[in-house]
Amino acid sequence: MGVLSNKFKPNFLGLLKFINSMNWFIVFFSLINLSMCIYEDQIGKFDWRQTYIGRIKFAQFDTVSTAKKIIVATEENVLAALNMKTGQVVWRHVFETASSGNIQLLHVADKVTSVTGSNPYLVRGWDTNTGILLWEWSLTLQDDYRAEYAEWWVQNGMLVNLLPFFGSHLEVSMYNLVSGSNRGSTSKLPAQWTNEGCVLTAPYYSCVSGSAGSQLLLSLDVTSKAVQILSKPLSDFINLNNGVGGELRELDGSSIPGFIVDNKKIILLRNNKFEPLSVEVSDSTVSAGVVDGVEGPMLLQIWNEENKAFSLRAHSIETGKVIPEISSTEKVNIPEPDLLAGMCSKSGREQHVCRLLVGAADDAVHLMQQAGRTLWSRQEALANVVAVEFVDLPVSDTDAELETEFGKEGSVWSAFTRRLYTQYQQLTKLASGLDSAEDSAELVRDYFNLHKVIMLVTQAGKIFGMDNLSGRILWERYEAELNSAAALVFTRRAARHPPADAVVSVIGKHVDTGNGYIVTLDPLTGSLVEEGRYAASARLRQATLAPAPLATGLRALLLLDEDDAVQVIPHSAAPLVENMYMYVAEKETGKVEGFALRYNGKELTAVRTWSSLPGGAGARVVAAVAARAADVRSPGRALPDRSVLYKYTNPALLLLVLQRKDRGADEVVSVALDGVTGAVVAGATHRRASALPLAVHADNCLAYLYRNDKHRRVEIATMELYEGPTRWSSPGAPFSSWEEWRAASVRRAAYVLPATPTTAALTHTRRQIADTHLLLGLSTGSIVELPWALLEARRLGAGPAGEGMEGTLPYTPELPLPADAAVNYNRTLERLAAIHAAPAGLESTSLVLATGLDLYYTRVAPSKTFDLLKDDFDYYLITIVLIALLVATYSTKYFASRKMLKQAWK
Amino acid sequence: MYRMLVVGVCLCIVNKALCNVISGEEETGSGRYMIEGRVYPPEDQESLTWQIDTKIHVNGGEYIGFIKDDGSFAVHNVPSGSYVVEVINPDYMYEPIRVEINSKGKFRARKVNYILTSQVIQVPYPLRMKALSRFRYFQVREQWRLTDFLFNPMVIMMVLPLLFIMLLPKMMNDPEAKEDLKQITNMAKMSELPEMSEMFTSWFNKRSPPKTSAKTKQIKKRQ
Repeated sequence: MGVLSNKFKPNFLGLLKFINSMNWFIVFFSLINLSMCIYEDQIGKFDWRQTYIGRIKFAQFDTVSTAKKIIVATEENVLAALNMKTGQVVWRHVFETASSGNIQLLHVADKVTSVTGSNPYLVRGWDTNTGILLWEWSLTLQDDYRAEYAEWWVQNGMLVNLLPFFGSHLEVSMYNLVSGSNRGSTSKLPAQWTNEGCVLTAPYYSCVSGSAGSQLLLSLDVTSKAVQILSKPLSDFINLNNGVGGELRELDGSSIPGFIVDNKKIILLRNNKFEPLSVEVSDSTVSAGVVDGVEGPMLLQIWNEENKAFSLRAHSIETGKVIPEISSTEKVNIPEPDLLAGMCSKSGREQHVCRLLVGAADDAVHLMQQAGRTLWSRQEALANVVAVEFVDLPVSDTDAELETEFGKEGSVWSAFTRRLYTQYQQLTKLASGLDSAEDSAELVRDYFNLHKVIMLVTQAGKIFGMDNLSGRILWERYEAELNSAAALVFTRRAARHPPADAVVSVIGKHVDTGNGYIVTLDPLTGSLVEEGRYAASARLRQATLAPAPLATGLRALLLLDEDDAVQVIPHSAAPLVENMYMYVAEKETGKVEGFALRYNGKELTAVRTWSSLPGGAGARVVAAVAARAADVRSPGRALPDRSVLYKYTNPALLLLVLQRKDRGADEVVSVALDGVTGAVVAGATHRRASALPLAVHADNCLAYLYRNDKHRRVEIATMELYEGPTRWSSPGAPFSSWEEWRAASVRRAAYVLPATPTTAALTHTRRQIADTHLLLGLSTGSIVELPWALLEARRLGAGPAGEGMEGTLPYTPELPLPADAAVNYNRTLERLAAIHAAPAGLESTSLVLATGLDLYYTRVAPSKTFDLLKDDFDYYLITIVLIALLVATYSTKYFASRKMLKQAWK
Repeated sequence: MYRMLVVGVCLCIVNKALCNVISGEEETGSGRYMIEGRVYPPEDQESLTWQIDTKIHVNGGEYIGFIKDDGSFAVHNVPSGSYVVEVINPDYMYEPIRVEINSKGKFRARKVNYILTSQVIQVPYPLRMKALSRFRYFQVREQWRLTDFLFNPMVIMMVLPLLFIMLLPKMMNDPEAKEDLKQITNMAKMSELPEMSEMFTSWFNKRSPPKTSAKTKQIKKRQ
């Protein structure tokens, strides 16, 4: 026996070892699941998409086709057709973001013609119904310098290009619209009276010229064969005070060429004559246009009255009388309305049926009918979102009652009656909930905290509150003085402090002064709270939240201004600030500075503690990301040999990606800095590469993207920081940046990305226990979810030989981008600009909002929904099986006892 | 030798002339060229307006081309350089192609290889883009099938012993084994499971728990 056991022992141990390693494989493969796509029947269940087109530049009604449409061209270089009834996008073409996509002309006849680009130009024809390209030709103007003054219009099937040479002549070229052939080449019209204040109201080119006091109004039909200049003294039309004036403004969306002189007088050009209108200009900010109506042409004027009322006035041109059926004043706030297009027709009963497309300073576009009623509105500001914040909802009243129930003082009996009362309330609520269909409009927190309010700050200065489950806009607020180009949003108080409301601050710049401008509001209602609108007295360099809240649960804002002085809002919070550090990275100079905030008993001061040039002189900061404030609950990673590799989790870690020139070649430098001490923790350089402003950082994982110029491909470099097999500090102790005598061990890897990324973000779960996945927005319009396991710097062979780890995937240089990793499946997102991830109440789930031209919301589960039953979980089957088992047990028992009895009687 | 040289020169000249002709056709001033090609829709294309959903991206959207009704496309005003041309369609996958335009305006199209960047596998130019396959965005839901259920290891584990217990005794007609089995079945009494009626009587008639225990004893005795 002894011999046998001796003989078997090594083998047995080997077997055990083998099983053990197999075990690891099993565990590993079950943990890393590389497919996380949804089922086909889940389309639209967790996600929604909203398509936008941007601020409208040109618009024309398509009156030819049967399905009524509005063809629009926008500042975002988008050509689209909108359904006239609903305002939805029928078809849409997105051109290049650069100047080569700028739309110069939109002309709608039976076909749509667009001119895009800025020398060379592209002339394209589109089918009005389907949006399919019909023809396309390129046009280059010889005089590149003059090209920015070029004017375009379509006349009699010819594309006309006007190139003014101010003070000398006009060059007019005509091209065949479809083929681009230049018939009769270019004609030069002498026009010494032209200047930069001239306007084109096709086909007339009009100027105010001459010395003060004897100014002349001149117009010229540039397409007519005979050169015939219309000329009249300007004083014939308006009273010139001090003899100067003559600012021309063309009419918007007008069917008869005309212009407004000095915002006072409207002059039309008809039958080759100036025709001043007897109609008064209603307001200096008016937007006016001439529309063909039932009884001849009508002049439409829209403006915003002082008391925030939208006014519409229609006059008949022939009689000069007001048409009361169309005119109105509505109590709607449309800031700086702009008449984009207008159309009036006759209905069966000789009534006016008008459709006006009205743009506004807040980028919204409204379709109005006669008498100022809005048919639909599109919030085009959402095509340019600059900042996003997910805000928790407050718990419902009954839940709040339940939470506070145990804190209250009282006898046993009062507690008991309270208990009974709340349960009665719950019951009645349940009953009422069953009675009426569930009201999703109610803004209360759900059990898993999946329901939130998304606050969106847009480029136009408009702030929106949106329901994340439906995408419905809850409120909107236009802040005309907010320049939100680089706005920051901070949640200063979450809604979990009832009865106090949530408070969110938007920090931007003032439009005029460039100083700091802060808007503080309630994210659930959009109303101003606390400081409301606050204008700082200086330009801001950096802003953050105070670490500790005030007694009211509100956290103060700390603003570092350009003189390195600190402002605290509210001021009373200054004594609460301690152990606070800030960093400032200057984009152009590549200089990074660190400040320590100290409270000296009276006020808060910022002391510059360190300053460095991490990329050397001449480097430019392309991306700077700080570690996101997160509650990390997984301090290390278990290794196959059952030891633990502890993460280097520095909450003050800062990743900088810099671009510099080194010996003639572009170079990308990435540096991970400690924000408190300024010490370099890790770094890398990539020769012959250009940096992309895409860098992500969470926990101990860093990743950034750059273009490899040598191999003409995009690469992603990842870094992971570890403390090593032993912990530096005792468990639970906070990280200290001052323990510099130990260096973190850095693992690096780089992978080839076979696509063009436009944005990157990491998923964010509540405790960081679930896996972290990288969300990459691609130029193709899809968002790809990449498991970090694929990017891991510890993948076998990633580092020098033997550095890779067991339990990781074998290294492959090219990252796979399978179709099932696309979280937005075939819902293409045009011009993805940013991805925002926020945690839900469930550890497994991360909420994702992608912004760009479109908005897309979904939720992802990086480690699959381990804390939720599958949504196709079959409750019926399990119930039926249970019942059947019970029935079978008891019936067999019954039959068995009967059989027993029979046997006993035998 | 002399003749060969002449031939070579001639070829060069012809080539140059050809080059000039091509660039004359495609150049649109100041060294700008046009990338041309044609997109072939997949055969099972059900949507009539696939042209509107399909776009041509050059270098990830730096230049954008649109598709005409017949599938042909042209990307205008591209300076000389190296470009990746992609066909973007939400439902079908197309292979990207690298197009290189040299400073003389000569075109070369080749397969994109991000790893071996110097490897050249030429493809014809003007480009002919064919759909490779349909994107599979979705997981397939598991359907309940009887075979799946039967071959489930858990089910097999439960069913096979049952077969052994039920069928084996019938197959071997041995009285001794029968006796043994009887004993086994007797041992596995149903006493673990409470009698339904007894449960109810014990619930509603709480006064007589000793009585019920006596009753069970009686039953046992009788057996």
